[in-house]
Amino acid sequence: MARTSTELKKKKKTKKSGPVAAAMKQKAPKPNAFESIWSRRKFDIIGKKRRGEECRTGLARSLAIEKRKKTLLKEYEQSTKASVFVDNRIGEQNEGLGEFDKAIMRSQRERQLMHNKKSKYNLSDGEEEEFDIPSIVFPSERDDFEDEMMPGDDDDDDNEGDESEKKSAVLKHLNARRSVDGEEKKHKTKKEVMEEVILKSKYYKAEKAKEKDENEQMMEELDKSFTSLVQSNVLLSFTANTGSLKQDRPDSYDKLVKELALDMRARPSDRTKTPEELAQEEKERLERLEEERQKRMLETEDSSDEDNEDVDKSSIQRPRSISGDDLGDSFSFDEEPRTTKGWVDEILERKDADDSESEDGDSSEHSKSAEGDGNDEGSDEGNVVAEKTQFVKDWEQSDEDNIDTELDKEEEEEEMKPKHDKKSKNNVSVEIKERDVVALDRRKIKSNSEQPSTEPDIPYSIQAPKNLDELRALLENCSNANIILVINRIRGTNAIKLAAENRKKMQVFYGVLLQYFAVLANKKPLEFELLNMLVKPLMEMSVEIPYFAAICARERILQTRTQFCEAIKISENGCWPSLKTLFLLKLWSMIFPCSDFRHAVMTPAILLMCEYLMRCPILSGRDIAIGSFLCSMLFSVTKQSRKFCPEAIMFLRTLLMAATSRKQLSCQDSEFYHLMELKALRPLLRICDCVYDISPLNFLMVVGMQEDSSFFSSDSFRASVLVTVIETLRGFVDSYQGLTSFPEIFLPISVLLLEVAQEENMPDILQDKLKDVAQLIKKKADEHHMLRRPLQMRTQNPVPIKLLNPKFEENFVKGKDYDPDRERAERRKLKKHLKSEAKGAARELRKDNHFLYEVKEKRKALMEEEKTEKRGKAMAFLQEQEHAYKSGLLGKGSKRRR
Amino acid sequence: MVRPYTMKGQKRKKRGDKYYPEEEVKEEEANTDNRVGVQEGYMATAKRAMVAKDDEKKAEEGEEEVEVPELEGIPIAPSDQNTKKPGVIFILEKACLEVAKVGKTYQILNSDDHANFLRRNNKNPADYRPDIAHQALLAILDSTITKAGRLKALYVKTEKGVLFEVKPHVRIPRTPKRFTGLILQLLQKLSISAVGKREKLLRVIKNPVTQYLPVNSRKIGFSYSSQKLVKIRNYVDTFDNDVDLVFVVGAMAHGKVETDYTDDFIAISGYPLSAACCISNICHALADKWDIV
Repeated sequence: MARTSTELKKKKKTKKSGPVAAAMKQKAPKPNAFESIWSRRKFDIIGKKRRGEECRTGLARSLAIEKRKKTLLKEYEQSTKASVFVDNRIGEQNEGLGEFDKAIMRSQRERQLMHNKKSKYNLSDGEEEEFDIPSIVFPSERDDFEDEMMPGDDDDDDNEGDESEKKSAVLKHLNARRSVDGEEKKHKTKKEVMEEVILKSKYYKAEKAKEKDENEQMMEELDKSFTSLVQSNVLLSFTANTGSLKQDRPDSYDKLVKELALDMRARPSDRTKTPEELAQEEKERLERLEEERQKRMLETEDSSDEDNEDVDKSSIQRPRSISGDDLGDSFSFDEEPRTTKGWVDEILERKDADDSESEDGDSSEHSKSAEGDGNDEGSDEGNVVAEKTQFVKDWEQSDEDNIDTELDKEEEEEEMKPKHDKKSKNNVSVEIKERDVVALDRRKIKSNSEQPSTEPDIPYSIQAPKNLDELRALLENCSNANIILVINRIRGTNAIKLAAENRKKMQVFYGVLLQYFAVLANKKPLEFELLNMLVKPLMEMSVEIPYFAAICARERILQTRTQFCEAIKISENGCWPSLKTLFLLKLWSMIFPCSDFRHAVMTPAILLMCEYLMRCPILSGRDIAIGSFLCSMLFSVTKQSRKFCPEAIMFLRTLLMAATSRKQLSCQDSEFYHLMELKALRPLLRICDCVYDISPLNFLMVVGMQEDSSFFSSDSFRASVLVTVIETLRGFVDSYQGLTSFPEIFLPISVLLLEVAQEENMPDILQDKLKDVAQLIKKKADEHHMLRRPLQMRTQNPVPIKLLNPKFEENFVKGKDYDPDRERAERRKLKKHLKSEAKGAARELRKDNHFLYEVKEKRKALMEEEKTEKRGKAMAFLQEQEHAYKSGLLGKGSKRRR
Repeated sequence: MVRPYTMKGQKRKKRGDKYYPEEEVKEEEANTDNRVGVQEGYMATAKRAMVAKDDEKKAEEGEEEVEVPELEGIPIAPSDQNTKKPGVIFILEKACLEVAKVGKTYQILNSDDHANFLRRNNKNPADYRPDIAHQALLAILDSTITKAGRLKALYVKTEKGVLFEVKPHVRIPRTPKRFTGLILQLLQKLSISAVGKREKLLRVIKNPVTQYLPVNSRKIGFSYSSQKLVKIRNYVDTFDNDVDLVFVVGAMAHGKVETDYTDDFIAISGYPLSAACCISNICHALADKWDIV
């Protein structure tokens, strides 16, 4: 059904293309409703016009037949004919024209011809001829009157000759005309083009010149008029005004230029000195000083012996300076007289040392040692600061010049700074020089004043001692400050940067110094200040020779460990570390970085400390003190790296348990203890009576005491130990709060803490602290519990279905090929076209055949009919004859009868 | 007449036929001296292809396994991927997706851009709301039950009665403009294929929709006007796990869904809900029922 309709549509289209169809359609105003078929649309679309979609099958069919009759039928009819009658009358072929139109056309034609004939009697012009020619060139316009025209032309040319001659003549004429015309045109164009080009260029040149002239003239005119204007003073007022304004205010640019001219040129600043150069300078200075000293020594002897006139400047200066500085120095020395444990003295001396170090240009290093001290003594730092201020006051009281106080202030500021940058120091080298001078003076004074007391004179350049004995000999009878001075001078003279072999010397010296430190720490009346002061040079030196320092430390740690292993095997009581070991460990923790998770020195040191805590049995109060000190040291070491030390935690817990009164261990606790070596858990820390004030412990004092002293069994000791334990624990809680296993580590301890808090006779402050820490642990543990997820089966993530993108166009137009390969699309289109055309052609041919067949059939039928008619006639005649014959009417008989 | 749809199986077979001879040729070139029979060669290549496919599958699986976070000790929960599960089918009724020739171009009518055009044609612009259908489709295709593969089919019937099928694994364009472009092409071309594939993702199909619904299915219509107001979560629970559910939701601005094939006609809220909201409620209820998270 659909197919037929489409075919019909197509057919109709083809029919419609001709003007005939259009005419027919116009003629038929209202088609028969039964003849038209509307193609049913699948989707009714708003806005789409329905016109042109219907097809009238009957009409189309009849139209097609009509057309065939006109074309195919005629051809068929003529196919058997030898000649054709062609109707060439005007307007006969155009079917759209009516009879009247045709008549008009004919009359027009006649007129035209008449006109032509008239003109023949005029003298021929080119124009005339030209007018004439197109009529010959396009004979098709003339239809069937060509024959008539030819004779007309003949008349025009010459009257003689037959038709063929005429024709040839006309042709000749035509040809000649054409050829001449063409040649002329060609020639002309070439020449003309050239000429035109030349002409044009000339014309343009002239134009340009003219314009130029005009411009110049105008310019001249303008100039003239302007000069006249200027002369007429019309503009003068304006110019004068502006000029004055300009003079009044100088341009900012001018100002800038002047400023620039006055500016100083940039100059390169002095190069910052390299450490090597600084060391060299230092050494040279020390040597110079040494020489001077030597000279002075000799000279003083001389002067004492005999009054020499040419006294050295320094010697002259010295008494004078003494008199000038009298007040300050005497003040400081008045305070000095020894109360060996006085902090003031120590600080003062440290300051002195500091002064001497300011020559080195790195006095800020001192801040570190001060810090270290602070760490060491715990709460002593505030004290130190107080001392310092006092010290400053002292110096202010003394009539030193301004520079000195400034210097001190500066030093103080630098001490405040945690970071020590040598560069800034170097930059103010000038200042340092000044300081040097001052410090020199001061030292001279000091040396002078000290000389009378038992101290020997200190040489400025000292060779590094090779072993401990040498060092001892060197430092014999020296005060603490002088010891440091000596060490610094040794370092100055043998600075590594000066010579390569100095490194070796310094390494040896470092070893010796470390040994000295260890020996000092083991001395029974402890020289704590000296130890403190030794820390600084040791630290500086280990920065200079880090590898050697690390090796030394490792060796010592190893040695200590082996000793410890031996000790713990043999005896039970003496295995807690000695003061020497503790101090060395502290020293290393200051020298080497604690923030590294793994360090060549610090890791073994920490392990050693942990081992002490784990393996040493707690037998007395002293052990507890040492253990808690180790714990706090471990805490300070691991604070930054957050390394977990279970031994320390366990030790603290043990101490807390020792504070409780309960005897038996719950099973939960025992699970921890099967890992540790069993410790005797006497209630060493249980507080029996009320304690009202808790004072911080002096560790050195505590360590110095005998194990069985009554102090350890006093309640105040217990309370203060508990305080330290709790504080350390709090520190650990803070630093380990990030651990995932935090609740498991600390929750039992919090239970224990609460238990301890419940003890009778527990002071209120302690109770508060205990509860505080327990609260803290609980809070942190709760946070961890919040974050924890229960253990779950591993589930595979559900796989969502795979999505596919639909393929569509932004602006889809129906029937357009959206193939990205244009060539392919084109080819497909052509193929489609070809196919449809082929189909159409086949259809047409088929229909033609049908038509022809019908025509032939009709004709055949006609002939058949004719034949039968004829035959019938003949038969009738024959029958009649027969009848006549038989009836005897034929021949005479009939005639006779007529 | 229209060319009938060819069967998919045949197509694949054809493709396979195309594919194999090439390989065969290769093989023959490779060992010309000991010629193998055509049949044998065919078999061999087929086998090899199978093996290759298996390998690919294995490789894919391996990749998937690698992707799984490695927790050695913890056992993997058993997955019930292959068990038969009930599905859900959505039918959007009266979707306002109408093509019109505006000016010279064809467009999907909407109330914003074509208000004047619609008034000229004596239509109410308020009825032309393709965005409702768009949002409803997005709500269905974005839901967790679709992602879990529980959406069996999705049919849309337009106001004009054109029925088209949307495959559950289509990624519908998210912008209205692109969506209308897609629907325009669908309604003119009658099918939309996937990018880079021959598979048809959207296809205009013959009415009525009932012929595509599974036999054992429960068809539920939704309307605000229904007297039966239920809580969807409880309502969904009443069905067994072996029946497929068909939800018929209207995607029009005004009016009521009038279908003769629905078994039940319910309201799930006291308020008139938008199609997208209603659908998301249904999807949530189903996801809740089927434990899809």
